[in-house]
Amino acid sequence: MSGTYTLPIGPLHVALEEPMYFDIKVKGETVESLGLSAGHVHRGMESLAMQRNYLQNVVLTERVCSLCSNSHPSTYCMAVENLAGIMVPERAQYLRVIADEVKRIASHLFNVGIMAHLVGFDSLFMHAMEVREIMQDVKEGVYGNRMNLGACTIGGVRYDIDAEMNAFIRGKLEELKPHLEEIYGIYTTDPLILKRTTGVGVLPEADARRYGVVGPVARASGIAYDVRKKTPYCTYKELNFDVQWDTKGDVHSRALVRLREAVDSVSLIEQCLEQMPEGPIELERFVEIPEGEAVARSEAPRGELFYYLRSDGSDTPHRLKWRVPTYMNWEALQTMMTGCQVADIPLIVNSIDPCISCTER
Amino acid sequence: MTSFFEATFAMLIFPGGLFALAAGLMLKGVDRKAVARLQRRVGPPLYQPALDVLKLTVKETLIPHTANELAFKLAPVLGLSGVLLTAAVMPIGGVWNGVTGMKDLLVLLYLLPLPAMALMIAGSASSSPYGALGFSREMVVMFAYEMPLIASFLAVAVRVGGTGGSMFALDSIINYQMAHGPMIFDPIMLPAFIAMLLFIPGTMGAGLFDIPEAEPEVIEGPLLEYSGPLLAMFQLMSAVKLVVVVELVVALFMPNGLGGNVLVNLVWHLFKCLALMLVAVTVFRASTGRLRLEQGFTFFVKYTSPLALASLGLAYMLR
Repeated sequence: MSGTYTLPIGPLHVALEEPMYFDIKVKGETVESLGLSAGHVHRGMESLAMQRNYLQNVVLTERVCSLCSNSHPSTYCMAVENLAGIMVPERAQYLRVIADEVKRIASHLFNVGIMAHLVGFDSLFMHAMEVREIMQDVKEGVYGNRMNLGACTIGGVRYDIDAEMNAFIRGKLEELKPHLEEIYGIYTTDPLILKRTTGVGVLPEADARRYGVVGPVARASGIAYDVRKKTPYCTYKELNFDVQWDTKGDVHSRALVRLREAVDSVSLIEQCLEQMPEGPIELERFVEIPEGEAVARSEAPRGELFYYLRSDGSDTPHRLKWRVPTYMNWEALQTMMTGCQVADIPLIVNSIDPCISCTER
Repeated sequence: MTSFFEATFAMLIFPGGLFALAAGLMLKGVDRKAVARLQRRVGPPLYQPALDVLKLTVKETLIPHTANELAFKLAPVLGLSGVLLTAAVMPIGGVWNGVTGMKDLLVLLYLLPLPAMALMIAGSASSSPYGALGFSREMVVMFAYEMPLIASFLAVAVRVGGTGGSMFALDSIINYQMAHGPMIFDPIMLPAFIAMLLFIPGTMGAGLFDIPEAEPEVIEGPLLEYSGPLLAMFQLMSAVKLVVVVELVVALFMPNGLGGNVLVNLVWHLFKCLALMLVAVTVFRASTGRLRLEQGFTFFVKYTSPLALASLGLAYMLR
């Protein structure tokens, strides 16, 4: 096994489960270089968005991706609101933060769970998914769905939390806290997890800046960049939380950053439930969307999500474009993977939490 | 002539053949169910491995056009017949003394690598890069666990010291333990027993050592291109191999029966096999993940081999 040969990973691969193709040059068990090939799926969503009116697009953008299915419509709504100068009622802003953070906890637990599966530690994977199920219960109890919450609408939200629901969420969060602590403990101390993930897929800070990575990938490489802190939207200004970051930049530190963010999200939801004022949750009547263009950005579970909207004054967008976090992150795989072992490939791919369905829409 | 019938019976019915197949599928079923319960899942019914094999036998066999067809087809035959033969010569304490003329530890030493060889042939014959990776991984892992295996064999043989026949005679090993108590209670042999406990998951590819057939990494490596009856044969091979390796450890370290009744002894033997599998495979794989190839190799060199060698050295000095 001395010669270099090509190891095709994808577009259909059991460890990837999404259509992405990696053309990996391998020597023995060591990766020499990596070619990325995207574009295996095209759903024409940006074109569809130009044929639907503003309200229908809330439903459409929710279906861009399943794991960040609240970040997309909420950022889209923010772009529309920026364009039309709509002031969202304060209670609705709190409710948007709650929906976002619930999705963030579920998404991060999913990712670190898959990491355990990829190192063959299936019991831990099952446990993480079982803990995530608490969050799924919250989603189902509050929003009626396990994945697509349908929480956002232009100028507000489509759900409200009464006293009973408030107590239900608090109860579930209390149930979640000790589990999160336990999982964090396992991920920081388990010898096998440490052996397989520390020092693997390192992305130094300089490379991270060069590629312009976002989200937990950037934060694990020493770039404390979080849209929620840099340009606070909704009510993040009034909420108390830290940007979780690390300097090691390996697979392990990315997982830990995600777990710490999940813990933060629990506290964010509690603060929202505490501080949320009474009041309306949506606009009384719909406002006309004027001609012009606007952008909005938010911190999705995978990183910075960016929406661009241009309107010609009609009821459908003239152009709607979004840039998803995975698009910024996957080029950095080239640096992370060079010189790694074949066994580490799925781990490293998973550590950027790729969302191909966001990226190839 | 009697030895011919004896050998045929051993190969086809007991302890190889039907018995080994049934025991293997049962152990696999218990393993899957127990792991599921440990992970708080429901798990499949106990007969699921048998259903899997039955279903595969009626499925189409697809052979990649780049594969070496002959080697591709012969590999599972070699593997399955290899483990069935190994099961046939395996003695069961108080039940079966092994086939005349084949009661030898060295025969086992030659037969045991057959399933790994079959997987290597399968991996390289399938002409898939994952198969090639599986081939090289299988080979490295095999080199890693052969050393403690040989050392443990020698430790047991030296400890028995060839009373009443050849040093490697299986029946003298069994008789020695019948007379002096099982090896597992012998403090000198305890390190070798622990080494063998690590050998079982190593050769079965469980837990830390699920390296050659790692599903997320090399997509089951050598088995990737297999389908239909050929894959069914590999599954049967794996099931019988499980029986063979636990029976081997039982024979070397705790072959003692529960008195004279053959049926009681057989049940007792199956119970010991089940307990060993639950410890060395089920709980082991439910509580650990997979090491990288070089980490797995180092593990055997650093921990498992010294344990077996310690027993060998002590047994040699106290001979």
